[in-house]
Amino acid sequence: MKPFVLSAPLIVNWTLSFRCNFACNHCYSRAEDASAELSTAQIKSIMDTLAARKVSFINFGGGEPLLCSDLFELAGYASGLGFKVSMNTNGWLLDETRAALAKNAGFETVGVSIDSHRAEVHDGFRNMPGSFERAVNAVRQLRSNGVRVTMSSVICRINADEFVSLVDMAESLGVEQIFLHNYKCAGMGMTNRDELDLSPPEWREFYIKAMNLKAARSGIRISMDDPITATIKGGDAESPLVKGSTCGKLSLNIRANGDVTPCGFIPVPIGNLLRDDFDSIWRGSDVLGKLRNKEPKAKCLQCKHYADCLGGCSARAYAATGDFESPDPHCWFEPV
Amino acid sequence: MIDRPLRNPAIIWREEDELRDAAMAMLERGEDASGEGVMILLCAGVMHQLNMLGAEIWKRCDGEHTVDAIAAGLAEVFDAEPDEIAADVREFVSDMQRRGWLAE
Ligand code: SF4
Repeated sequence: MKPFVLSAPLIVNWTLSFRCNFACNHCYSRAEDASAELSTAQIKSIMDTLAARKVSFINFGGGEPLLCSDLFELAGYASGLGFKVSMNTNGWLLDETRAALAKNAGFETVGVSIDSHRAEVHDGFRNMPGSFERAVNAVRQLRSNGVRVTMSSVICRINADEFVSLVDMAESLGVEQIFLHNYKCAGMGMTNRDELDLSPPEWREFYIKAMNLKAARSGIRISMDDPITATIKGGDAESPLVKGSTCGKLSLNIRANGDVTPCGFIPVPIGNLLRDDFDSIWRGSDVLGKLRNKEPKAKCLQCKHYADCLGGCSARAYAATGDFESPDPHCWFEPV
Repeated sequence: MIDRPLRNPAIIWREEDELRDAAMAMLERGEDASGEGVMILLCAGVMHQLNMLGAEIWKRCDGEHTVDAIAAGLAEVFDAEPDEIAADVREFVSDMQRRGWLAE
């Protein structure tokens, strides 16, 4: 069947606040202005708009969403409108009481960030002593309150050689799905890129191992969600209908002040939901148009995988070169 | 074959109204709309699209409609004979069952 542009995104990632109680080495949002935030009423009104467009998922990210005093009220409102609601948290504030509140608010899943199975490595990466223990405890509290838990791990130099142990740990904690996120060179991720990012051949090696593990494991879902995996035989193929990056095709991002960006890692506002009509942004944005209709450039012109890869991750390409259409800097293809 | 198919509740789906209208208009003009996606389904992280026939069957998989009742409903929408369309419905229901799109 022919590909089509959806009438609205399926997934909205929403940064309610850029405030955070951590200062992680890879964070894309730490440099952002944490002062401008929408009121509870404004957020609910935007949720009404999204519900009318039949958006299916709202995922709260940040910053740390649990620092928002209205988080559970908003999640309850969103789930009442029929959204599948989730969030990503560092887990520090997710104690027994908040786990119960998350359940009552209708959170479908909660993603907890854990980047190493070794406490000292995780704590060092997150610059927060004790954060590993609190994150593991958050997973346990959520599970005992009947909330489905996913785990998010940013793959980089601290864990790429040990990711199997990370998956083992997630499985033993009863986590349903682990997201092995690719390292994004945005925000602090750009500042610390030399120290933390893998080289293109190392990414290739990591993905081959991760895909083999994914095929071998039935107790936990392993997701990589990186368009560049389309270049590996038997690639991740999580969403074969949508090639390349999903931002602006399946998903959209809302920032704390109501600005809309294609994804959290592309800091290019394409409108503001206090001011602009949602459909005009989704259908009319030149930036989204460009992301949906990428043209190959440089080495992508010689690559047989372009139809599936579409130049890889547009956010990484943009961060590294200022051009969405440049080849993904993680790409290992070497033209002859 | 399940007698009264029921959608797997874990699957997220959305009918795309404009695309549906466009496919409907094609049918009315006597054109082939079988290649036109009008509904998206998200199943275990994988997205699929359905054409109008698939979408109309999917919407009726509510655990109440029998396969024959689904075929009768579709015959009205597509202005076809129920017997003609019943074979397509059976085939699609088996396919959905095999893919895990229907509740056990
Ligand atoms: S050269 Fe371009 S299309 Fe080919 S794998 Fe690399 S980023 Fe993807």
